[in-house]
This record gives sequence, structure tokens and C-alpha cells, in this order.
Amino acid sequence: MSTLRQRSPVSYALAMPAALWMLGALVVPTLFIVWVSFWASRSFSLGSPLALINYAKFFQRPAYVKVLLDTFQQTLILMAITLVLGYCIAYFAVVQVRRPHWKLGLFLVLVIPFWTSALIRTIAWIPFLGVTGVINQALLFLGVVGQPVGAFLYSRTGITLAQVSFYTLLATGPVVYVLRNIPVSLREAAQCLGATPARVFWRITVPLTLPGVVIGQILVFLNVMADFATASAIGGNKHAYLGNIVVLLYDSGQLPFASVMAVLLMLCMLGGVAVLLKVVDIRRLGIP
Amino acid sequence: MMHWRTRQKLVKGALGAVTVLFLAYQWLPMLVMALLSFTGPDGGPTFPMRGVSLHWYRELLRVQMVDDFKPPMLRSLLLALACSVTTAALSLAAVQAMRARFRASGLFFYLILLGVMAPGLLVGFGVAVVARILGIQLAWYTTTFAVHVVWTLPFGFLTLLAVFNRFDRRLEEAALTLRANRWTTFWRVTFPLVLPGVIGAGLFGFTLSYDEFARSLFSTGAEQTLPLVIFAQFDRQLQPTLYAIGTATTVVSLVTIMCFSLLFRMVRRRTRTGAPGAA
Amino acid sequence: MSKGAEHTDRDLELRDVTKRFGTFVAVHRVSLTVERGQFVCLLGPSGCGKTTTLRIVAGLEDADEGEVWISGVRANDTPPWKRDIAMMFQDFALFPHMTVRKQVGFGLEMLGRPKEEIRRRVPETLATFEIDALAERKPDTLSGGQKQRVALARALITEPRILLLDEPIGSLDFSLREAVMLELKNVQRRLRISFIWVTHDQNEAFSLGDKVVVMNHARIEQVGSPEVIFERPRTRFVASFIQGNNVFDGVVESVQDGRVRVQTPVGGFVVPVRETESPLKGAGVSFSVRAELLTERPGPEHVNRVPATCRAVEYLGSVRRYDLRLPDGRSVKLEQFAASPTRIDEGEQVTLGWRVEDGVLHAGADQIR
Repeated sequence: MSTLRQRSPVSYALAMPAALWMLGALVVPTLFIVWVSFWASRSFSLGSPLALINYAKFFQRPAYVKVLLDTFQQTLILMAITLVLGYCIAYFAVVQVRRPHWKLGLFLVLVIPFWTSALIRTIAWIPFLGVTGVINQALLFLGVVGQPVGAFLYSRTGITLAQVSFYTLLATGPVVYVLRNIPVSLREAAQCLGATPARVFWRITVPLTLPGVVIGQILVFLNVMADFATASAIGGNKHAYLGNIVVLLYDSGQLPFASVMAVLLMLCMLGGVAVLLKVVDIRRLGIP
Repeated sequence: MMHWRTRQKLVKGALGAVTVLFLAYQWLPMLVMALLSFTGPDGGPTFPMRGVSLHWYRELLRVQMVDDFKPPMLRSLLLALACSVTTAALSLAAVQAMRARFRASGLFFYLILLGVMAPGLLVGFGVAVVARILGIQLAWYTTTFAVHVVWTLPFGFLTLLAVFNRFDRRLEEAALTLRANRWTTFWRVTFPLVLPGVIGAGLFGFTLSYDEFARSLFSTGAEQTLPLVIFAQFDRQLQPTLYAIGTATTVVSLVTIMCFSLLFRMVRRRTRTGAPGAA
Repeated sequence: MSKGAEHTDRDLELRDVTKRFGTFVAVHRVSLTVERGQFVCLLGPSGCGKTTTLRIVAGLEDADEGEVWISGVRANDTPPWKRDIAMMFQDFALFPHMTVRKQVGFGLEMLGRPKEEIRRRVPETLATFEIDALAERKPDTLSGGQKQRVALARALITEPRILLLDEPIGSLDFSLREAVMLELKNVQRRLRISFIWVTHDQNEAFSLGDKVVVMNHARIEQVGSPEVIFERPRTRFVASFIQGNNVFDGVVESVQDGRVRVQTPVGGFVVPVRETESPLKGAGVSFSVRAELLTERPGPEHVNRVPATCRAVEYLGSVRRYDLRLPDGRSVKLEQFAASPTRIDEGEQVTLGWRVEDGVLHAGADQIR
């Protein structure tokens, strides 16, 4: 029992502000975007009739469809990398590191970059990746390459490298949460029943951490699909994902077409989340 | 066949190496940027560094620079503060409402979580469209503020939810049996004990808003916030001044967080040990 | 013990096993043998090292020194999944994502048994432990008693040589414990597997164990049958740990004819010498007397006497327990059958007495072994 009676009217009043805010600043704008995407005009005109013309325009232009596929591809690459990397880090931090001081220290060192501006972190990658940048200088110094590699900056590789740095922890976090809730006695019981460490991992640990893995992948999926800042900062203007196109179209005033992009992006995201959630029932995580 | 203990050690070593390498991977760009910000006056945006100096930091303080950056910074700060207070208040109310398990509280929960899932791009764009249609002017203290809170509210909400989960409701029940009414109980018993969580929610509101870029991109009007100005600068030309700004804002962020954390710990200790000024 | 002697009729042999965690010594030179099909209880307060010892047998911890021999084979370097053991945990450690059927079959799967065998034996085992109705259930829908049986079935289906149990009934309802204890004792006798049972509850240890090992501060204090531990505690710790002993501390005044005269703050008493030891004059010693061997009406044979005042009376059904205070303020317990005609009232002053042979001298650091 809390200071409120169950289902008291006061609770509705307390929930109102937050609910209204989310509805007004999130749900309503989304609905508007959908409405505008059906406008049969090129730019902003309130009285436009509604038609699918802008959607047709999108699918008829192979360049735009390619952008959609490119975005998907990039997202899948990131998901794969962060899955493995994120799990390794989570496993190490939770299971392998025993002493609590080390655990706390590791946790802090991993998380602190997130307390700094994402924009700054993006910009920081430029001198790193460039022809005269740190990576190239290191490679030259070690004699791995004879000439600086221009392929890092303004390339998909560079974008991927930067994104891995930003988003891996999104995949790590939920796995850490779920891993911590698995009692050590489960692993020990399995060992005493004859399971080698590999079998303990695949038969016990992985199935039990699957919800965390999926949540992490959802977070990565959502973030990479909509990421435009990294692409524009590090990719120069050579690479565009859906997010970049939306910005471009908005800037040039083509609101209906931009809305089509936005709606397609939303649909992809909803679809992706639905698919991922089929893999595991999110309710088992114990969310109230 | 390798001895099993050796295999265990190898796996642990490999995982540790991966973790450490990743840590380096995450921190290096920032450290490099910080390093480069100290490059000499002839230095460019990349290596090699030509001399070590505070030149670019001094450049920052040049009158014109200050004019360029000071207003946006102030706006960002004010916005972040407003966001912080709003997030703390709204999430406290929302979590307290959740505890009463009203009908549709499940739906309410997911509605709030939506704020995390919706990417900044879409939210910002959506608000810009709505503003355009309804004829509202885009401004940092209206539309951008709305969009920022959408993003920070779920974080504050989840933080407070976690804090309340660990909260012992029997303390409230004890107060109620001691003839305190619900209002008094909340303010005299519950609130002081969850204050660290409220501060945490406020902290989220501040830091997430101060650095927020993607959401602000569409929803801000002519008067820009700091991250947008930085981005615009960056688009124009890459100079070590940018690194100086970057390093400076990072340090400011970190210091803010440390202050908040200390405040957090102080409040927690005071409510645990009771006597003011107790160690 | 001759080196290299392999006693395959022994299920377990620990030789001078030591385990440290940093500077903390958890287990110090523990030696123990468990014969075929024996029920052994490790008894002691928390932190005494009994659980660590159990985990060393399981292979979940490595011994820093000493040897672990299972079924006559040196097992120090054998990992837990290769040892012929099974373990039951205090929190049951049931796999949350597996049905009861899958859990119970898990061990056989790990052993690489053919599928037909698993398909045949799992239902049989479920029936034996009366959990066949629960076959498709998941652990979070089971009661404590049901979880216990699943954990047991899961462990025993692999037919281990030794079953290790870490405070297995501690988390069960009180009313359930007695029944479960009996059930487990029956299972052990039927299957003739060795059980090593860790507990801090002396009632469990005494009613279940063929052999009880009392531990304290990483060391073994005494090993013996329940009767021996009960009637002849070897050390001061064992005497005070086992309920119902009155412990006296004093100094040796004289040793004569196999008897020691001990001078304590409340008087001098005569105690028989332990079989293998002879204390020195002036050495510090302790001895104990069981509460039920004291009498409030000492006769000529009750040579040892001490005055005491009754402080409280407890009625425990068939037994009356008195809490009396000695002249130096320490308390002493006396037990009397309820049927006994004489009673002591609160505040009454009496003289307590016991026979020489009722006192048990403890082995201690001051004495020559």
C-alpha cells in the first residue's frame, strides 16, 4: 500500500501531466506526420487532397529504395557486431570480474563517455580516422601499411567504426541487467550435473539472458536506423541513410515527401521491433 | 587436451582483452581530441601537433567567439535546467500514480517508454510539422523544450521506478498508523527517502537535454542551442577551436555530473543517519 | 596412512585439505574419510568452513593444499563435471527455463546417454519421487517441497557415488522439515549412496548422520557418531555448541589415579582423565556435564557439588528445564523428567551434584597429547 489508495482518482490526476505531455509532443506529431505523408503535393499546403502519390514517388526511384536498403544493411551489420561485442563485455564484467571495486570501476569507465555529448564524441572521430589521423599514423608506425589508408574517413567503414563505439553499450546494458539476476548456483548446479563450461554457457546462460540480448538489439536497431548525425559528420556527403534524406528534404521544404520517409522509417522500426519481440516475451523481464 | 583450468584462464583473458580494447576504443577519440585542442597556433585539425599551447582556448575567449557562443550556451543551460526540473516533477508524479495501479497503468507505462524508443529525428520532425500546421513559432523555450522532455522523461521515470521498488512501503504504513494523513506521509516520510532518486531524475533531465542535438535540429527556431551552433561551426570548417569547445563542454558535463553525484550521496547519507551534519 | 593406498571402498577421502581466500583461512588441514554408503553430517556455526569443504569435494573450489580422493582416485585436478558427484543447493538452483521433465533429464543428457534411455528413465524417476504430475511445469509454479523433490530427482538420476547437500531443508517450512528429513534418510539407505550433509542445526545432524563432523574456525573439532559427540564432547567448543552441556573452566590442581581435580571459581571438582591424555598440574582446562545428569538432591555418589539458585523454569512437555545461577553469576542448566517428584521453585537455593564419571574433560591447547 502506498500513500495513495489503489485506483484513487488522485492517481489519475498525477498521471495526467506526463500522459498529456507524451501524447501532445509525441503521439500527436506522429499522427500529423502520417497525415502529411498522404498529401498530394510537393511542398507545404494545408488544403492538399490526400493521395498515395508521394509513396509511389518513393518506390519508383531506385535511388531512394537503395537508401532504404542501405539503412537496413548498416543496421544489421551494427546489430551483429554489437551483439557479439556487447555480450563479451557484459559477460566479462558480470561473471569474470569478481572483486566489487573492479566491477564498479569498470562500470564507471564504460558509462562515463555516455555522460558527454554525443555530438562531441562524433566530432572526436574525425581526427582519428583521417588520412593524417591517429589510426593511420599508428598503422604507418607499425608498418602494417605503406601509405595512409584513405578508406576510413568519409566511408562506410568509418561510419561503422564510430557507430560501434557509440552503440555497443546499448547492447551491453540489458545483458548486464539480466546476467546479474542469474544466481551463481544455477551454473554450479549444471556443472555438478556434468555440464562442461561450454555446455553451461549454451544451455543455461544463453537461454536465460536471451531477453536482455533482444532488448539490447532492439535499442541498437532503433538507434542505427534513425542515425543521421554520424553519417553526415563522418561520411561527409557521400553516404546517406534514411535519416539524412529526411533532413535534406525538410531543409528543401518538401514536407510531404519527407513525411513519407519518416513514415517508412517508423514502419521499418515497428516491424523490426515486432520481429525481435517474437523471439522472446518481454514480459518475462519482470516489467510491472 | 588442454587442462581445463588453463582453458578457463584463456577465455577470461580473451574476454578481458576485448573489454579493455573496447574501452580504449571508446575513450581514445575523445582523448585525442582533448590532446589536439592544445595544439599550437600553427596547428591544424589533425596531427602532427605544432607546439603545445592554450592558443585555441584563448581564441574561444575572443570577443567575437564569446558573442557567438555565449547566448547559445546560456540557452542550452536554461533549457537543461527547465528540463531537469520538469522531468523530476513529472516522473515523480507519474511513478506515484503508477503505485496506485490505476486502470490503464500498463498502457501508461508503455506510453512513457515510447519516449526512449522514438528516435530524435522523428520526434523533432514531427513537432516541426505540427508547429508549421498550427502556425506555432519554433523556439527553443517552447517546441524544443517539449521535445527534450519527451526524451528525458522516460529516463527519469525508470530511475524513480527503480528507487521506489526498493522503497519499503511499511515505512509509509507506519506513518499512517501514527495518525499522519496521506499528504503529510508523502512529504515527511516518502519524499525525503526517495529524494536521491528525484535528484537522479533531474540529473538525467539536465545532462540529456544539455547535449541533445538531433531533437533540437528541427524544433529550434532562429535562436539556437549550443550543440546546434557547434554543429554549424563544424560544418563550416574544422578547426582546433572546435576541439577546444568540445573538450571544454565535456569537462563541464563531467564536473556537473560529479557535483550531482556528490549531492546525491550527501542527501542519501543525511537521510540515513538522521542528524544534520552527521558524518 | 600409507601413500598411494587406494581405498576404493571409501567414497571420499580428504587429506589435510587447506583452503585460503586471500589471508582468510577457510579450511585448515581438514582430513576426513567417508566409507561406502555413509551418511556424514558437517555441523558447525556459520563461517566455520563446512560449506567450503563441501564445495571442495564438489570441485567448485580448489584446495590450496591437501588431497581429495573420490572412490580411490585422486580428484584434485578433476573438474566438477567429471566428478562422480551430485549436489543439492540451499536455493534448489532449479533451471527456470526448463520444465521439470527437462531438468531431471539434464544430467543424463550431459552424461551422453542415448535418447531412448533418457525417455525411459525420466518418467520412472519422476514416479519414484512422486512428481510425475509436475512433469510439464516450470520451477516458478512449484511449492518449496515440490522444488526439493525435483532437485533431488535431478541429482540422483545420474546415480552419483556421493550426494552433497548444502543446508537442503533450511528454506522449507518448519512443518515440512521433519518429513523431508525422514524421506531423505530413507532414500540414502535405499540407494546406499554416501550423503554429505552440511548444516548448523544439531537436531538434523544427530538424527540423520551415521557420522557427525563438528567444525569451527576452519578446523575439525570432533568426528564421531551422534552418541559419542553428545555424551563425550572432545573440545570446549563442541561442548558449548551442542545444547544441554554445562561447561566449567578451571585450573588443574592435582592428577591422581586417573582423576583430575580441577579448581574453578565456584569450587573444586573431580573429573576423569581422558583416555589418551594426561594434563599437567597448573594447566588450564575445561570440562562439561550434561544437564540431565545433574541432580538437585545429591546422594553420596554425587561427589561433585555446587550451590545454585533457581532463576527460571521451562516446561518442555516431557521434560522440565531449569536455569540456575552459580555463586559467580554464571548459569547452569538442569533437566528433569516431568514425572520426577521433586521440583525446584524460582528463587529456591539448592545444591547441585553429579557423579565423577558424568564429567567430561576436554582436550585443550595446554595439555600434552
